[in-house]
This record gives sequence, C-alpha cells and structure tokens, in this order.
Amino acid sequence: MKLKVLEKSIDRVKIQLQGISLSYANAIRRIALSEVPVMAIDNIIIIENSSIMYDELLAHRLGLIPLKTDLSKYVLPKDCDCDNSLGCLKCSVSLVLDSGDNDSTKEILSGQLKSVSDTTTIPVNSNIPIVKVAPGQKVSLEAYARLGTGKEHAKWQASNVSILKPTKEEDTDNDYTLEIESTGALSAIEIFVKATEILRNELQEFTEKTGSLKK
Amino acid sequence: MAVQVKKYDAWPIIKNMLETEEVARQHLNSYNELIETGLQSIIDEINGLEIEALGNPYRVKFGKLTIGKPRVVEIDGSVSNILPLEARLRALTYSAPLYLEMVMEEKGSATDMQRQHIGELPVMVKSKLCALNGYNEEQLIERGEDRHDPGGYFIVHGSERVIVGLEDLSPNKVLVDIEKTGTTTTFKSRIYSSIVGYRSKLEITLKQDGAVNVKLPSSPVDLPFVTVLRTLGLQTDKEIADTISLRPEIQDLLEVSFEKSSETPTTDDALVYIGNRVAHGMPDEFRVRKALSVLDWGLLPHLGRKEENRFDKAMFIGEAVCKLLELKLGLVTPDDKDHYGNKMIKFAGQMLADLFRTSFRNLVRDLKYQLERTGQRRGINVVGAAIRPGIIKDKLTNSIATGNWGRGKVGVTQLLDRTNFLSTTSHLRRIQSPLSRTQPNFEARDLHATHFGRICPTETPEGANCGLVKNIALSAMISVNSPIDDVIERLTELGVISTREKREDMKADDCKIFLNGWFMGFHSDGKQLVSEFRDIRRKSGIHPHVGIAYFPPPAKKASHRVYVSTSAGRVIRPLIVVKNGKPLLSVEKIEKIIQGENNWRDLLMDGLIELIDANEEENAYISMEYSDLNNEHTHLEIFTPSMLGVAGSVIPYPEHNQSPRNTYESAMAKQSLGFSTPTYPVTTSVREHLLVYPQSPLVTTQLTDLLRLNERPNGQNCVVAVLSYEGYNIEDAIVMNKSSIQRGLARSFFYRSYKAEAKQYPGGMKDNFEIPSAEDNIRGYRGEKYYRLLEPDGVISHESVVGGGDVVIGRTSPPRFMEEYREFEVKGPYRRDTSSAVRPTESGVVDSVFVTESLEGGHSYTIRIRDMRIPEIGDKFASRHGQKGVIGLTVNQEDMPYTEDGIVPDVIINPHAFPSRMTVGQFIESLAGKTASMRGRQTDGTAFVGENPDDLKKELKSHGFRETGREVMYDGITGRKYMVDVYIGVVYYQKLHHMVTDKIHARARGQVQMLTKQPTEGRARGGGLRFGEMERDCLISYGASMVLKDRLLDEADKAELYVCEECGLIAYYDTKQHRYVCRICGDPSKISTVVVAYAFKLLLQEMMSLNITPRLKIKAKV
Repeated sequence: MKLKVLEKSIDRVKIQLQGISLSYANAIRRIALSEVPVMAIDNIIIIENSSIMYDELLAHRLGLIPLKTDLSKYVLPKDCDCDNSLGCLKCSVSLVLDSGDNDSTKEILSGQLKSVSDTTTIPVNSNIPIVKVAPGQKVSLEAYARLGTGKEHAKWQASNVSILKPTKEEDTDNDYTLEIESTGALSAIEIFVKATEILRNELQEFTEKTGSLKK
Repeated sequence: MAVQVKKYDAWPIIKNMLETEEVARQHLNSYNELIETGLQSIIDEINGLEIEALGNPYRVKFGKLTIGKPRVVEIDGSVSNILPLEARLRALTYSAPLYLEMVMEEKGSATDMQRQHIGELPVMVKSKLCALNGYNEEQLIERGEDRHDPGGYFIVHGSERVIVGLEDLSPNKVLVDIEKTGTTTTFKSRIYSSIVGYRSKLEITLKQDGAVNVKLPSSPVDLPFVTVLRTLGLQTDKEIADTISLRPEIQDLLEVSFEKSSETPTTDDALVYIGNRVAHGMPDEFRVRKALSVLDWGLLPHLGRKEENRFDKAMFIGEAVCKLLELKLGLVTPDDKDHYGNKMIKFAGQMLADLFRTSFRNLVRDLKYQLERTGQRRGINVVGAAIRPGIIKDKLTNSIATGNWGRGKVGVTQLLDRTNFLSTTSHLRRIQSPLSRTQPNFEARDLHATHFGRICPTETPEGANCGLVKNIALSAMISVNSPIDDVIERLTELGVISTREKREDMKADDCKIFLNGWFMGFHSDGKQLVSEFRDIRRKSGIHPHVGIAYFPPPAKKASHRVYVSTSAGRVIRPLIVVKNGKPLLSVEKIEKIIQGENNWRDLLMDGLIELIDANEEENAYISMEYSDLNNEHTHLEIFTPSMLGVAGSVIPYPEHNQSPRNTYESAMAKQSLGFSTPTYPVTTSVREHLLVYPQSPLVTTQLTDLLRLNERPNGQNCVVAVLSYEGYNIEDAIVMNKSSIQRGLARSFFYRSYKAEAKQYPGGMKDNFEIPSAEDNIRGYRGEKYYRLLEPDGVISHESVVGGGDVVIGRTSPPRFMEEYREFEVKGPYRRDTSSAVRPTESGVVDSVFVTESLEGGHSYTIRIRDMRIPEIGDKFASRHGQKGVIGLTVNQEDMPYTEDGIVPDVIINPHAFPSRMTVGQFIESLAGKTASMRGRQTDGTAFVGENPDDLKKELKSHGFRETGREVMYDGITGRKYMVDVYIGVVYYQKLHHMVTDKIHARARGQVQMLTKQPTEGRARGGGLRFGEMERDCLISYGASMVLKDRLLDEADKAELYVCEECGLIAYYDTKQHRYVCRICGDPSKISTVVVAYAFKLLLQEMMSLNITPRLKIKAKV
C-alpha cells in the first residue's frame, strides 16, 4: 500500500492512495464528511434581540459559523462525565456576542463573537455577516459551542468537499485520489488523519467484538 | 475605425413604459376617472329632487361633488386622516367622505346652499385620492409601505380586495350572426346599447318569411322595423329604403317588410301600433305616451334619451338592418364575438359607477320620502338632517367586502393574493369573463389571434375556469375615455358629412362613419380618411387612445365602414410605426430612452410609436422582426416577449417548452413562497409565508427584473442532478440533500394571526380580556394548563412557545341569551369562555402582539404566531417549467452523488420527468444556470430573445465543463463511478405552500357529528377517514364480514333500538318503571332490542315526521 500527498495546504489536501480497496477509501471520504468532530455553536442564551431577525434564525446562522477546533482539548459531550446541559470546560466553549449601542445601521460580523473560556476557539473567518442592526436595535447573547459530528447536523461537518476518484481514467488497480477541503475548523490533513483514526478505532472495536465471538 | 452597427432593440421602450405606468395602471386610471368625472356625471343625471310639500313645493338642486381625504370617524366622533397602513392594522375601511353641494330652490330661485355629507367612498390605494399619491420611495417607506407596492386595490375592514377586470362584449356595436335551428335559418343583428349602469339589448331579426323585425326589451312582441322607423320620424318608403341602403339588391329585400307595415303609413299610425303593443289595454293617449317613452328610454339609450335623438336612432337601426341584409346576401360574414375588438374590460371605476348610481338613487329617494314626511319644516338644515350617508357607505363597502354586486353578480372582488410578489402583480392584471363556467363555451375559451400582445397565451387556470379567466399581457394597456368633441371636429374637417345633411350626390359606396356606436355620417373615401386621421393622431392632434379602423367591404357590393372609438376599456398595445419599410423610431431615439432623456410618452407624442386596439390592428401589417421589414409593413413589434403576462414572462426559455407546461408553471408560480412584502413584520393577514433566504434566479428574464422579482424573489437556485436515486424519486418525487436543508435551503416561516375584539352588548354587558378562572362560573373552561401562557391582562406575551390548543387571548363573554331566572340555580350568573386558542394541529412562537382600538371603542388584539418550516418528506417543490414534485427522501451529503469537482446536488430529480412532458426549457435553464454560476453573471433566458443555448455551451466549455451539461459522477454510498454521465446544473426551485405539516392527519377515536353520531369529516375537526363504498366493496368481495361490521357499525354510529314486535315501530325503556313500553300497542307487548346504525334510526324518525310508517318486522335469529 502506498500513500502519497500530492497537494497540501491548510484547507485543502490531495492524497493518492494506492493498493487500497474502494470501500476502504470511500469510508475515509465519508468519515471526513460526517464523523470527524468539530466545534460549532449549539446552545444559545439570548439576553436581548431587538433586531429584525428571529431568535431561531439567529441561532441557525451562529451554528453554521465554522469555529477553530482543537481536538486535543475537548471531548464529545457523550464521552464527557459532566452532567450539564450546557457542558463543562472539557466539552464546551462559551462565547459572547454583543452588538452594543449603535446610532447607525451596522452589520454584526462573526469577528464580534468573543470567546470567554478559551480564546483559541474563535470563528475561522471574522467577516461572516450574522445580522444587520438598525439604530436602537441590539443583539446580546451567550453562545455555547461543543463538539459534534456531521451525522448530527451539517454545522458539525469538518469538511464540505471530499472527493474520491480513481487516479487514472479507468478504475482497475485500486489506485485512488482523495481530496479533502476543510471548512477551516481543522486543517485538511488533520481531518484526513482523524478520519483514518476513527475508521481504525471502529474497525478495532469491531475486531474485538468479533474476536470475542470465538470464545 | 470600424463603425459599430447597433442592433435594433426596442426593449427599452417596453421597459420604460412598464416602469412609468407600473402594473396596476388599468385599475388606477379607471378609478381616477371615476372620482374626477364619473361620480359627478351620475349626480348631474339626477340633478335634483322636487319636494311636494303641502301647499308650497320646493326643489333641492345638486351642485358640485367634492371628495375629502381618507379618514376614519372614531367612536367619540373625532375624525382623523388615515394611511393604508392604519386601515390594515386596525381593520378599518380606507375610505373618504363625499360632500355634495345642495341648493334650496323655492319658486324658481335659489335660497340657500350647503355642502352635505352624502356618504363614504372606498379609496383605491395609490389612486389620486389615496394619501400615498405622489409620494416617492423614501416617503412611502416612512409611511410603512412597500415602496414597490403596485396599489390598485381597496382596503375594506382591514382586508385588501381587488375588483378584478370584467371582460364584456363591447356595447353599442352592431353584431350580426346566423342562427340555424333545424331547417330554419334566422339572421340576427344584435346591439347591446349601454350607458353607465344601464344596458338595453336590441335584436333585429330576419326570418325565413323575409320580414325584418325589431325586438325591444320593453315590448312583448316583435315589431316590424319599418313601423319602428316611422315612429322615429321617417315617413315615406323611399326615405326608409334609402336610409338602409342605396343598393337595389338590398332594397329589393325590403319588400316583405314594407308590406307588413302598410297599415301604419304615418308616424302617428306607427305610434298607435306600438302603443297598442307595449301598453295593451291602456287609455289611448297613455298608449302613445308609453310608445314614445319606450322609444326614448328603451331603444338604443346610448344615442340619447330625448326627442332630438330619434333621428340618430333611426339611422342606427337603418345600419343594423343594412348589415343584416348584407349578411343575408352573403356580402359580409357573421361577426366574431371572440374578436378582441368586440370586447371591452371593465375595471374598478366602471364597476363602482354602477353601484354608486343605484345607491345614490336610493339615497335621493329616501331623502325625498323623509322630506315629504316632515311636511312643513323646511330649509337647508332640514335637508341636511334628512340625508342618510349610510346608504351609499354601506352599499359600497359591503359590495367590495363581499364581492356581491347585486343582480346575481357575485365574486366581483377577491382578496388580494399576497403569497408572493408575483402572485400579487398577476392578480392585479387578471380578467374575468362573465360567461358561465359550467357551460362549454369552447370558442370563448380558445386563444384568439387578436389576443396577441393583449392577453397572455399561457397564463390561465386549468379546469372549469380555463380560458375564461385571463391575464393581460405586459405590452397591453387599457384605454381610457377620451374627449369626443375633438374627434368630431377633426372628422368633420376631414370631410365627414353628417347623416342629417341631405345630399343629392350620395353614392351607395360612400363609407359609413361610426363614432362610438353613433352613425355619424358619410365619407367618400374611408381608407383615406382613416390614414389622414391617423396622421393627426400621430401628431398629437387627438388623444392617443382613440382608435380608428377601416373595414373594407368583403364583397364588392357591401358597405364600407369606419369605426372610431374613444371609449374606455379597449385593450390597446404599442407598436412602432413603419413607413416605407423603415421604422420611424430610430436607434438614436431608443438610446435617448436608455439615457433617460426621453420617455415612451414622448415617442407616442411624436408619433413614432402608437397605441393600437384590436380593430385597428386589422388594418395593420406588423413585422415581428426588424430584419423582416418590407415596404408593405405598417408597424413593427416593439418587444415580442411582452406578449406574455406576468407569470408567463418569468419562465426562462419558455419557447422550448411544451405549451401546457408553461400554463402549469404560470399557475404554480403563484403558490410559491418568497418575499412578498418588506412590510411582513406588521402584516396581520390570517395566513402568510416568508421564505428565509430567497434568491434572485441565476437564469432570469428581462421582465423578471422589470417586475422587481429580483428584489422580491420566490425561490432558490439549486444544484439539480437528473438521476434516479434508490427509487426514492419515482413518480415525480425529488430527493433533497439533507445537509443543504440543514444549511438553510428552502427554510420558511408560516404566520397565522388570531384576532379578538371586546364587544359591548345591550344591557351594559361586555367581553373581558382576562385569564378565565376555574373558580368563576365559566362555561367552556378549558383547563388551567391551556391558559398558562397568558399574562394578567389575558394576552400572551412575545416569543412564548405555543402548541395546539394553547390559549393566546383569554376572553370571557356574557351569556348568549338572557335566560329566565332559575330558582334552583346554585352557581348564579355565568360567563362563557370565548378565548382564542392555537389551532390543534399547529404550533409555533408568538411573533407579535398588536393592540389597537376598534371602531366600537373596545380593545382589539391580533396575535401572530410564527412557525419555522424546515423542508421535510412530503413538502412540495417545483421548477419554473411546470415540473412539480414532493420530497421523497432527504439524504446526508456523504450519501449523495458527487462530481469530479466535489459538487453535490441539492436536488435529484428523476429522468422520467422529461420524455413525455418535453420541458426542454428546464434543460436549457440547467445549462444556463451552470454557466451563470461559473461566470458570476445572470443568464438572460427571455422568451425568443434570450442568450443562445449554443453560446452558453461554448462558454461552459471555456470554464472547463463539458458542453453537453453532463458530468461524471460518483455514488456517495459506494464511491463507485456511475456507468453513465449525469446531467447536472443549476435550476431555480420554488417551494410551494403545500406542506405536509398542514395536511398530515390520522384518527383513532374522536368527535362525532351531533345529528348522525357518525365521525366528523375533515382534518380541521379531527375527522375520520372515510371508509367509502369502494372500500366496502373490497371487504364484501373478500368475505371479511366481521371487519365490515366493525368499520361500518361498531366503530361508526352503533345504536340500540327497542322495537315492538307487534307493530314494528320504535318503543322505549321506561327507566322509572323499569320496563319496556310500546306507545302504540300498549300493554302487553313484546319488545326486542335491535342494533342498528344511528343514521338508520334517524331515517326511521324522519320518515315518521313525514307521515310514513316504517315498520320493522322482527324475527328471531335462526
């Protein structure tokens, strides 16, 4: 089996996988899309929202903002031993957004979302528009981000583009190219590594389970 | 340097025309005319009233009518001017007061004058009466309006109502027809003579005996036409014959008619003859008087109702007979009733004029009665006090509110469709035909050649109303009344000789000139007259809406005729004037329009373009294309795509679709959710939708932008693959990407408003807004949990999460009827719970709470609930090509197919949707959408003139795609490459307002009807699903009799019935004596219990009430 990184940047990676079966390669592609955990805002406490945008829409938009994720620091809520609906320091990050007072119409951008507990978990891009507020309108909220997977909701997808195709025109000798594009929450290569890790863990668990059948 | 040749493209003219005139012009023009001249002329017709007070009669003369500003009179009598916004929010009627000058006249001299309030007139939004008239966009926004709102509708009791245009046969026209019944052939001439609010049909027939008869509405029998002409003042046979025609062939046909009228050789004889028939059995002098009044009032009223008009009437009847005889001789063909030149459209102004006439007459009649009853008291103040403005106010508001126009006319007004901006615009351009929808009327439903540029060929409903409900094309305009005196003057100058002038040199082929159904005179050369007249019109000598048409004789011996019309309601359309094969409108002039230096009206004034009605178009030879022009052409089309209506013109590449698909899409676009109005936060209509992220289409049309649908869109651009997916998109289902949905695709809000008002009742009792308390004696108390969200004032607060049954406004009301005092009433007086609760099947969040004061003085609350609707299985979607479908499956991104570039479709539709439907337009849209998204610019898909699909293919290729639109795709589940390439591109999809949440329904047990004890019907009442006859047949044929009994009896309306075995009638069980009683047979009697359906028991008893004795013969089970 051969593995070759053809192209690599922070948010895009192209890897040639040789001598690996299609189903195995496709599993990595699918896991990259749906099972690599990343941070996304999941719970919001709205203190004030006098903007034209409804609370539920605001929440939806905030949820979709990609957040820089450090997988070593956090665990998935289901693996966390805390019993708090908003999570604890190990499984969640709290952020705040306050539009402040304004006397002209202004756009609230993702950059104004400030992290409280962990200054590294911040929006990938600070120029994502969240809501426009007119003079006298105000938005003030607390947001709680947590780890999750794309299986649950598209906001937790680590990558939005993941392509697997045969390296050559005809698909004969188990030679595939996998291309992963990141949302920015993790680096593209991290996603790939994490995806293989997840696959390995699952296979390991599966092997253990099947092994136990022999006894 | 090479000279750049500019392409001849007259699109800016249509663009400028629609921008300046806007889409509701026809309503506004019609209404403005009503308020400026129409109402006054109706008042002038009546002019005043005579009061026959004992001893000294007096007169009240009417003067000038003035109309105030839109206003409301509050309960305390204070008056304030209102804006449409306030009318909508407070459920008021947007209307303005009418004041009429009234002058007291005693013994011929005016003594006193006063302005009196006579009623209220509903105000059309954006008309000259409207408070918004003349405001610019910023000012409109300040007043809480949508700056693009077209206006043209009324606000009555807070709801927006449109008076849809009513198509009618044009009045005052001679229409000839051949009627064949069996072996007999009858030739008929019909004239619908009409003046505002009054219509009289005149029929002239030629039967097989060769006699020509006139049928008057007021006469029970047909009258010989010669006799009628004699009553109108023509005497000798020659005079009459010459009036009809100078041709011997035609005069020969009159012989029988003259013979028939030989008993009435003079006018007086003729009057007696008619008098005998219209007023049979009355005194002599009365008969003649009646005959004269029939002639003046009942016969051709459009020519006037005075003695001096009789001559014109005679001439007109002469023409009608002439045309009839020409038809008989085969010189002319029967008139085409469906020709749009024989149609007119009535809008709000004309419709309201009818109502105003009757209600004003009622007011005057009532006033006369009141004043005569008061007797000696007189003076202008007495007159003022006797006026009841409510007569006019109530009639007008009630008619608009209900659409009930009297005389069986219903559905004249409709609730303005606010589903999306397109549906609103389209609704304002709709036309209804008065023809019955139950009869076939095949020809009337067909598309007619004269519809071109006037009526949209695609936009019509399917089914009962097909072809009867139409929409006016974008290029069409509706004519307004123009001054007639100018026209008469011009025509006379051009050599028209009046019918009143006796001429010796009159020739049989002189051309007859008609002006609005008045036989004006003759001209030696009709063709030349028409051409000279048009030159004057092109030089702005007369109103551009005046139409003139020359009808050359179809056969050599037929009459030449010219028709001139200045009437309102004709559908006219602009065309470029062509002379010697060259359009008068130059490219430079078009450039000036683009620069904004000129507007389309300047071109009209300069005679470069002109407005043509359907009759005049018969004289035109129109070129579709600039390049096709030759010397014969008289006109050039301005912009062919504008032949379509509102809904038709937003379909991209419609010329590539099978025609009915465009019709389906025209109907469907009006059901799609979008951004209907920026005032959505403060609208309180009962139901409303809002698409969360609407997008302007990537493949657009030039008219989309013009209709402001890029700013008020109703759909989203989706990546669409044409592919089968695991069978979940068969039968028109679509597979949708779940991840796209989670990212916000097709997300919408549904709003429902609940309204409640506190009413006052006689006897000092009133409704209270409060939390109904369990301690108080309240009937219909729902239980504490349903009131939990109410605040102390009885109203729910913002952003409360509500579910089905939760009360949003708590209200208690006094007992419905004053009940008699009950001696043993323990609980004392009670109140009823009349709270408003969320519908049982709905839920959401309280969006807004509106508090206002109603006109009765009480508080009025409107609670608006919003519900976020995320697409789910069963929600309906459609592309813009009549391709609709419901979501059959939502699929995660990783399971969706992907292309080489990693593109994942939002929607997967089944390939079977195409072969039989032939919506090639959708394929081209897909391709064009793909190109547009790659180049970052919208593609123009306007009908006939859109970007060439071949060019798009080339451009697509330059972006690295294949020009076929197909791509290699991989299965997301297995990662395997598909065997075939997949057609994938970007298509605009619309979410339609049929959503499963509003339809899903099941029932185990529930309500039953009071009368029959059978389960209720319908989802709103938690009804059962009918186990119908066919289902019953299935069980019978299968032999599952116990299942049958279970469904139809045990679980339906099972009832026990006591039947007397002796008489077979119903008995009962006396609970006091513990025994069964038959009242017929008395004791002793054998009574059995029978299980029957309750509906059967009901049938027995209903039969008994009809004096039928149904006897049940009971036998023991064997």
